[in-house]
Amino acid sequence: MPYQLLRFALNKKYPEPCMFPTPERLKPRYDVVIIGGGGHGLACAYYLARDHGIRNVAVLEKSYIGAGGTGRNTAIVRSNYLTPEGVALYDESVRLFQDLSDDLDLNLFYSRRGHFTLAHSDASLRTMRWRAEVNKHLGVDSEVVDRQFIKAKCPEIDLDCGHNAPVMGALYHPPGAIARHDAVAWGYGRAACQRGVEIHQGTTVTGIRTEGDRVTAVETNRGVIETRCVLSAVAGYTPRITSMVGLRTPITVHPLQACVTEPLKPWLNVIMVSASLHIYVSQSSRGELVMGASLDPYEVHSTRSTLDFVEGLAGHLLELFPFLWDVKLLRQWAGLSDMTPDFSPIMGTTRIDGFLIDAGWGTWGFKATPVSGKTMAWTIAHGRDHDLVKPFRLSRFEEFDLVGEKGAASVGH
Amino acid sequence: MKLLRCPINGLRPIQEFYYGGEYRPMPDPDASTDAQWADYVFNRDGAPGVRLEWWYHLASGVWFLAEHDTARDVFLRTFLFEELGQG
Amino acid sequence: MSRRLAPQPGEWIDRNRPVTFRFEGRPYSGFAGDTITSALWAAGVRVLGRSFKYHRPRGLYGLDGSDSNAMFETRDVVNIRGDRAPIEEGMDLRAVNTFGGVERDRLRIMNRFGRFTPVGFYYKAFHRPRSLFPFFENQIRRVAGLGTVNSGKALRHTPKDYAFCDVLVIGAGPAGLAAALAAADAGARVLLVDESPRLGGSLTWHGNLDDSRDRLADALRRVEAHQRIQTRTATCVAGLYADGWAALIDRLRLTKLRARAVIVATGVFEQPAVFPHNDLPGVMFAGAAQRLIHHYAVLPAERPVIDTRPEGDSPAAALLKREGINLLAGRFIARARPAGGLAGIRGVELCRVDERGLPRIEQRAEQLACDAVVMSVGWTPNDTLLRMVGTRMEYSAEREQFLPVELPGGVFAAGKVNGLVGLEDRWADGLHAGQAAASALGFGAAPGGSRPAPAGPAINHPYPVSDPDEGKNFVDLDEDLQVKDFRNAIQEGFNSPELLKRYSTVGMGPSQGKHANLMALRVLAKERGEPLAGKQITTARPFSTPVALGHLAGRIFTPYRHTPAHAFHTERGARMMFAGTWLRPEYYEVVGKTREACIQEEALHVRGAVGLIDVGTLGKMELGGPDAVRFLERIYTGRFDNLKVGASRYGVACDESGVVIDDGVVARLGPDRFYVSTTTSGADAIYREWQRWALCWGLKVILNNATAHWGAMNLAGPRARQVLQPLVDISLAAADFPYMGVRECRLDGVPARVLRVGFVGELGYEIHVPAGHALGVWNRLMEAGRAADVRPFGVEAQRLLRLEKGHIIVSQDTDGLTQPFEAGLGWAVKMDKPFFIGQRSLKIHQRRPLKRTLVGFQTDEARPRTMPRENHLIIEGKEMIGRVTSIAYSPTLKRTIGLAYLPPSMTAPDTRFTIRADGGELVPAQVCRIPFYDPAGERQRMTTPEEDAR
Ligand SMILES: Cc1cc2nc3c(=O)[nH]c(=O)nc-3n(C[C@H](O)[C@H](O)[C@H](O)COP(=O)(O)OP(=O)(O)OC[C@H]3O[C@@H](n4cnc5c(N)ncnc54)[C@H](O)[C@@H]3O)c2cc1C
Repeated sequence: MPYQLLRFALNKKYPEPCMFPTPERLKPRYDVVIIGGGGHGLACAYYLARDHGIRNVAVLEKSYIGAGGTGRNTAIVRSNYLTPEGVALYDESVRLFQDLSDDLDLNLFYSRRGHFTLAHSDASLRTMRWRAEVNKHLGVDSEVVDRQFIKAKCPEIDLDCGHNAPVMGALYHPPGAIARHDAVAWGYGRAACQRGVEIHQGTTVTGIRTEGDRVTAVETNRGVIETRCVLSAVAGYTPRITSMVGLRTPITVHPLQACVTEPLKPWLNVIMVSASLHIYVSQSSRGELVMGASLDPYEVHSTRSTLDFVEGLAGHLLELFPFLWDVKLLRQWAGLSDMTPDFSPIMGTTRIDGFLIDAGWGTWGFKATPVSGKTMAWTIAHGRDHDLVKPFRLSRFEEFDLVGEKGAASVGH
Repeated sequence: MKLLRCPINGLRPIQEFYYGGEYRPMPDPDASTDAQWADYVFNRDGAPGVRLEWWYHLASGVWFLAEHDTARDVFLRTFLFEELGQG
Repeated sequence: MSRRLAPQPGEWIDRNRPVTFRFEGRPYSGFAGDTITSALWAAGVRVLGRSFKYHRPRGLYGLDGSDSNAMFETRDVVNIRGDRAPIEEGMDLRAVNTFGGVERDRLRIMNRFGRFTPVGFYYKAFHRPRSLFPFFENQIRRVAGLGTVNSGKALRHTPKDYAFCDVLVIGAGPAGLAAALAAADAGARVLLVDESPRLGGSLTWHGNLDDSRDRLADALRRVEAHQRIQTRTATCVAGLYADGWAALIDRLRLTKLRARAVIVATGVFEQPAVFPHNDLPGVMFAGAAQRLIHHYAVLPAERPVIDTRPEGDSPAAALLKREGINLLAGRFIARARPAGGLAGIRGVELCRVDERGLPRIEQRAEQLACDAVVMSVGWTPNDTLLRMVGTRMEYSAEREQFLPVELPGGVFAAGKVNGLVGLEDRWADGLHAGQAAASALGFGAAPGGSRPAPAGPAINHPYPVSDPDEGKNFVDLDEDLQVKDFRNAIQEGFNSPELLKRYSTVGMGPSQGKHANLMALRVLAKERGEPLAGKQITTARPFSTPVALGHLAGRIFTPYRHTPAHAFHTERGARMMFAGTWLRPEYYEVVGKTREACIQEEALHVRGAVGLIDVGTLGKMELGGPDAVRFLERIYTGRFDNLKVGASRYGVACDESGVVIDDGVVARLGPDRFYVSTTTSGADAIYREWQRWALCWGLKVILNNATAHWGAMNLAGPRARQVLQPLVDISLAAADFPYMGVRECRLDGVPARVLRVGFVGELGYEIHVPAGHALGVWNRLMEAGRAADVRPFGVEAQRLLRLEKGHIIVSQDTDGLTQPFEAGLGWAVKMDKPFFIGQRSLKIHQRRPLKRTLVGFQTDEARPRTMPRENHLIIEGKEMIGRVTSIAYSPTLKRTIGLAYLPPSMTAPDTRFTIRADGGELVPAQVCRIPFYDPAGERQRMTTPEEDAR
């Protein structure tokens, strides 16, 4: 029994203080206003306070913290991307994630499981090799493996897929991990509050005031706040915010669905992804199989669920794991994904002075929570884009200088 | 599963359709600056609301336009491209 | 000790059909019609399972499909819900999640450690030091989770079904029956669905059945006789979606139903009284007690007390009182007293209530000996389906419950779910909903009069909670959550419904909080001092009841495509591979030879003699109409207006950002007729986009995706002409049918389109014939070519041959951002044309320096010891400067050749560079000119000097 638990038994009263103490009222002015109390916004607030001593910061969250993608995602963390820019960014994030429970003193259940991306064709095996080579070059543990290796790590799998497009090999990424998504938001939120940041839940940004091309204030359902620096970290809500300042972006919003089964005793110890079958599955520490598939095919801003999604997913899942036919699906849900044409994020300063953006995280942004928080905090503090952020600037599109991650980001998350 | 009305084939399950993105008339390439052209190629109106979209009925190969409220996921009207601007 | 009662009127069991089964190693028997739980309870078994966190003994609780603590497994099936699943002969059951059996569960010790493990304790421990977390995580994973899945068993397929109706009525209680009858009478086709094995809903168990028996019998008679009503029992509506789409689940299958209107008459879920030890076997809902008696003829307990507050409707009370059961009036259960071990409870301590009906625990009243507590303190609407489709539910302070206040179009609610209590009201509400649904669809008139409104005193206790310091009082039995868990979480800042749920995990268990969510909200409201009145409840997500993956998967339909010549390939020992959804021969296996040897021999045979390859998977488009050529000019980067009839030309297509997306051959069959091939995987998308462009540009062009209409094969090699000539009615002489020509002719009487193309770099004829003739023509060519020794070759040999020619493969030698200038396709891009798709973007690209260029290369060693592979990197110092996209050993050239991206500064022939192969092996290589083979292209032209002279 770890000693941390003793204090619960020794105290008569429950000893834990409020994690997110926040004054009732908004201040009239903040140095930095962060829109969106998801992981990214909260992480940025934390690093602003911790690394740069910027504490007069408000995080405005229209609902509750973690209400967006942060509390809806399937929590896969990995860095086996395709482009050097992408790999560098996500690799830094994985590094930060590994120490994050300790850093925030909250157990995030960061669980290193090993991540397989199955290849069912020659062509996908080639893409895997490309990723593996780039990864290895940049010091990321990543390897193309054969069927025997997969079977050894996951004996339950049917590599013949019910005789349909059998598995030919896989990209294996040992550091691939899952985490408890909500706890990431709570941990960053608590640590930010401890350093003086204010988190205002139930506070919706309704407008942004500018003078010339400079931000002056933020309008909310609870009044106007003066500020000269606004970070939009609202993922699936980005187009609403950017249109407030007249900024055009390539972002389109599609729902992404996920689902869980009833809890089972542990049997699946790895994260299994098949892009050809459009599924991925891992088993949470509670025992649920957490599963997802590809993006919903059309643009909607509603988080409704569809039956087609679970039908398709179940079919493909049983091709890999036929014995799961009796396992019951408990719940499905959806989140809004802010998609970009090159499957890379959009980060950094914009042509509007004092308006910064952290968006375009689509279906893959949970894993980037620490790195985006850290680099965006740096960018705010220094008034210019952090080196890791530069390739992802908004202006890359008009410069025809995209960062093509489609091959690595589409279903794998 | 949602239903969508193809102007030719009537009300069909949405699985029979392919979504073709927001309707964006192409600007004159020669008259556009690089920035205007890049805006056309990459940028989108991603905010929720009613807008015009391309849809395609896969089984019959019919392209048409739909007025779609992307906030509520409700299709207000569908019509053939030829009828654009007629109502 | 059997607790089976004398036969009850209308009981669901068939006493003539005994069923025997096993539980935790012991034999039991029940009757057909019993659920696992009812049969075990009848047999006197009290501990049916162990709880999730503390491993406390648990019995039956609701008998309403949500008893997550009475969950079983067999060898093949996990997490079987005992309160719903019928017993089956020979079943061998055990409780899930025990360590050493339900009676001896070793983890029952967890019950003692409750103080160490408050809500969210696992967030506060186990993470320091980091190195120990994997150990703790393993322990945590082992104790979490319910059933153990058997990974050795085979897939069991279930079918899927479709159904349609005008009005779907969910729930066959009085409101549902009335609604079905009213809608059907008005002329609508009705489907009436209930998850119980019999129709009747609460009329089969709730209250004094003598009063309602005749009404039920009459209603059932009318429903059964009604031509427009279909019924389905033992069928659960697990999900409701947009536009009346519903997922119906029964034991055998998923039925996907399209209903034009939906009436939700799903009744209510009982809510618990919360007091210490309210979870032990013997504490149950009044509904469970009544169902035990009326459905299964099982005595709930020997000496129960019934806890009913407030004293409103309590038919349960009336009934049980008649049987001499203690009724608590004006008093409150302060706590139950555990009997210890497996025996449940032995009594309750009572306390007084204050004027608001809330307990005053300090005011002890008395003790009562009992072996069970039957709770009847309130209900909450079974509104999951309503909330799934976006119904707004609001808390009514008057009724002390959530009520639907705004329904989406096409959805109606009736009966108890609307907060109605009395039978007459519920019946009337059902009729009203039935008429309203039918009339909305154009059947009959709209209902006259208004709907009955909830009346009389509230039947729900606002806060039936006894929360003393000692003893565990449970709100969520799935997750073992007590009132203090909520208080603590709220203290920690998880003070909104969603945060509370996520931190405490209330409602995340298998029953999705059907008995717990409301109570959690009540605790939250109390702690925050914000009354629930007017509060809304969030939307619900599918499913209302968990659904087996097998049901969702159905038969698993994963279509793939065969070319017309498939039969030949399999007979000839082809190794098939997927190309998109198509199966194609990868190579033809020869016994005793390696894959590589087979492929090389196939390739050599094409170079030296003649080979035949199936290219039937290529996309094949037919274009016609006066604007066809204008259309092609805009689609492809090259020029086509000067293409002569009878000639063909290679075409490259870009997207609007200038990225290469497809390539193919455009053949002009007539002034306005074209036949165009596209890549295999691109065909459908290309055709679709072409249609859109044709529409946007207003061009008069007819497009036909003829991919499946035509079979295609390529006869290639120096002897190709010799094989083909005797079979066709045209001259194949080079002068008559030159390189890149196209001819329509008859091949052995079959209409054919023949293109003289040279993808593999030899004299070659791509032969297209109607799909139905393709196998015949293929076999005919094999036969006619016997003397010339024609042999089939597969995709791999073709890839090798084209590499020798330096031809790129779109999507292998290009990626998602490659523009034609990088891929060495500049020659095919006519920037001086007025317009083509991608041109404007390419103009922007042209003004920027190239970042990379595709070049040909060869390795220094003819066969490097470690053979580099596709996508191995090119390294200089510590930098990645390029990448191999294609590579192979060419048996013809006797060296290893490939294509690679390099910086534009390194593209001069003989420039040296290093490839990093597997294991970090560095393989030296140098840039070469392409094509590697026959650079002048003489072989594919195959003209004689005389012919050239002409
Ligand atoms: C089903 C699903 C599965 C996923 N799986 C993975 C995965 O496995 N791995 C991975 O790396 N990524 C995954 N993702 C992506 C990931 O969830 C997101 O990219 C990431 O969570 C984005 O975090 P965020 O903090 O930027 O935004 P969010 O967490 O979405 O937070 C944005 C917040 O902004 C608030 N907000 C919006 N508008 C306003 C306003 N006007 N005023 C105030 N507040 C506002 C919202 O309420 C929200 O809380 C998945 C996403 C989904 C939907």
